[in-house]
Amino acid sequence: MTETTATKTPAPAASSSPAADGTVPGAASAVHGLSAAGLLRSEWIKLRSVRSTAWSYALLVLVSLALAAVMSSTLDLQGADASMIPAADQATFIAQTATFGVFFGQLIVAVLGALTISGEYSTGMIRSTLTAVPRRLPALAAKAAVLFVTTFVVGLAANLGSYLVASLVLSRQGLGVSFADPAVFLPVLGGALYLALIAVFALGIGTIVRSGAGGIAVVLGIVLLLPMVFQVIAAPWAAAVLPYLVSNAGINMFGLMSFSPVPIEWWVNLLVVLGWLAVSLVGAAVVLKRRDA
Amino acid sequence: MIQAQSLTKRHGGKTAVDAIDFTVQPGKVTGLLGPNGAGKSTIMRMIVGLDRPTAGSVKVNGKHYSEHRAPLCEVGVLLDARAVHTGRSARNHLLALAATHGIPAARVDEVIELTGIGAVARTRVGGFSLGMGQRLGIAAALLGDPAVLILDEPVNGLDPEGVQWVRQLMRYLAAEGRTVLLSSHMMSEMALTADHLIMLGRGKVIVNAPVSEIIGMAGTHRVRVRTPQSAQLAALLAQPDVTVTTGEPDLLEVAGISAGDIGEQAAAAGIVLHELTGVSASLEEAYLALTQDEVEYRASGSAQLQEA
Repeated sequence: MTETTATKTPAPAASSSPAADGTVPGAASAVHGLSAAGLLRSEWIKLRSVRSTAWSYALLVLVSLALAAVMSSTLDLQGADASMIPAADQATFIAQTATFGVFFGQLIVAVLGALTISGEYSTGMIRSTLTAVPRRLPALAAKAAVLFVTTFVVGLAANLGSYLVASLVLSRQGLGVSFADPAVFLPVLGGALYLALIAVFALGIGTIVRSGAGGIAVVLGIVLLLPMVFQVIAAPWAAAVLPYLVSNAGINMFGLMSFSPVPIEWWVNLLVVLGWLAVSLVGAAVVLKRRDA
Repeated sequence: MIQAQSLTKRHGGKTAVDAIDFTVQPGKVTGLLGPNGAGKSTIMRMIVGLDRPTAGSVKVNGKHYSEHRAPLCEVGVLLDARAVHTGRSARNHLLALAATHGIPAARVDEVIELTGIGAVARTRVGGFSLGMGQRLGIAAALLGDPAVLILDEPVNGLDPEGVQWVRQLMRYLAAEGRTVLLSSHMMSEMALTADHLIMLGRGKVIVNAPVSEIIGMAGTHRVRVRTPQSAQLAALLAQPDVTVTTGEPDLLEVAGISAGDIGEQAAAAGIVLHELTGVSASLEEAYLALTQDEVEYRASGSAQLQEA
């Protein structure tokens, strides 16, 4: 079974004499086998060849642009002269306008992230995936990497577009900040990074839960409901936990909103988000490796 | 070559596969046969690592499936359950699988053509008929040009032409020197396609032998005798180890005595014979005889399964 020939499976109707040279066909030598690049390409093909991906990303961009347009055009300076507003405040407002879509975007990419894997479980595709990649974890890693990069790129495009929309609208009122201002481009980058991290977080949850509806429910519960629940609880410990919930830390990370009386450094927030992500991915890896598919 | 050693799978307290040993040889079509719940699908899933054995092991070409550098080029597998995302086109499905192993797109188009799904290759799999889905599954199995093919109920849902095609394909692949393992609940299918059978019942191997040998194992070769003097002949043949059954008025089925002996005894007694035919058991009868005690989900009114 080690000797290989380049013969391909011919049509069964052909009546040529089989394996005349005594070698066993199969394992065509032109094929190099599993590789990281191959797995990434495979996951990229999978991601772009289902409709939910295009829909989700289009929605992300549209919602971001629409929110930026609405927010910037409804700004009322109440007769104040724009030139009197400090540059730092102008920058903050434009940054907030450019990243406001992330509030909604996080829900969209969370659903997409969960569906990326739960869609494979609900259709049975996971059996094909795991037969091609029997060690399993490389498939999950490739899925996470492709989802991360794609979501980051689309998220960045959405935020950049929102910045352009906001700048255009606000320039009519005399407001304007260069994109080179760190107070603008850092939140724009941070917002895109958060979207990418939340998508992968949801991928991990979807792997653990396996069902589409279940995965989406759990992820949205964590991203959306948990902050509300802790906000409602009047106890001091609830307020203390609030900044460390994944969505709060993520939103605080790029400066859109703070959930803590004392400022928290952006990298602390990033570590908090990464902590949630690690729990989700480690859990996903453990169950994926252990469970029968 | 596939080798299983005391392969065991338990789901909770229920044993699906019970410490079985078998070897599937290259160059032959080997059939995995057994009633529902006998463990056929579970065995196939364990071979490609989808299910983890509770105990024992199964190796393909000397290694565990997951240890191969290019698993799809060692083993092509078609599972009984669907394994395709319904929202993706057939071609994209195959391209995604091929990409993992660096299999070129040209090979994808080759298997699409080979399996006759070219017309629907760019449409979403969700709208496929059972037969088209089955052809796509076979295309995926052939993608890596593997030396070992494992197909669970491959003719399921195919039209007669498709059944014929799969049968020829299996035989062809085996003749090329590949290892072909297929399961089917259709005995007639196995009789036409398989060279060797592994019969399962309640997770154990009941018989592991060439098809011809299994038909022989069914034992009772019977003789069909047509004579206008059937009552007379029946009385003549009456011996402790000979059983005579009558169907139609002038027809006897005789077991326990050779056709030659019947002919000579009839001639000596002056009985006219219109027909004297040896009837060997079919694979179906052999299967039923061998698995009778093993059928787990026997329908209450399965009298038609008994020999007539």
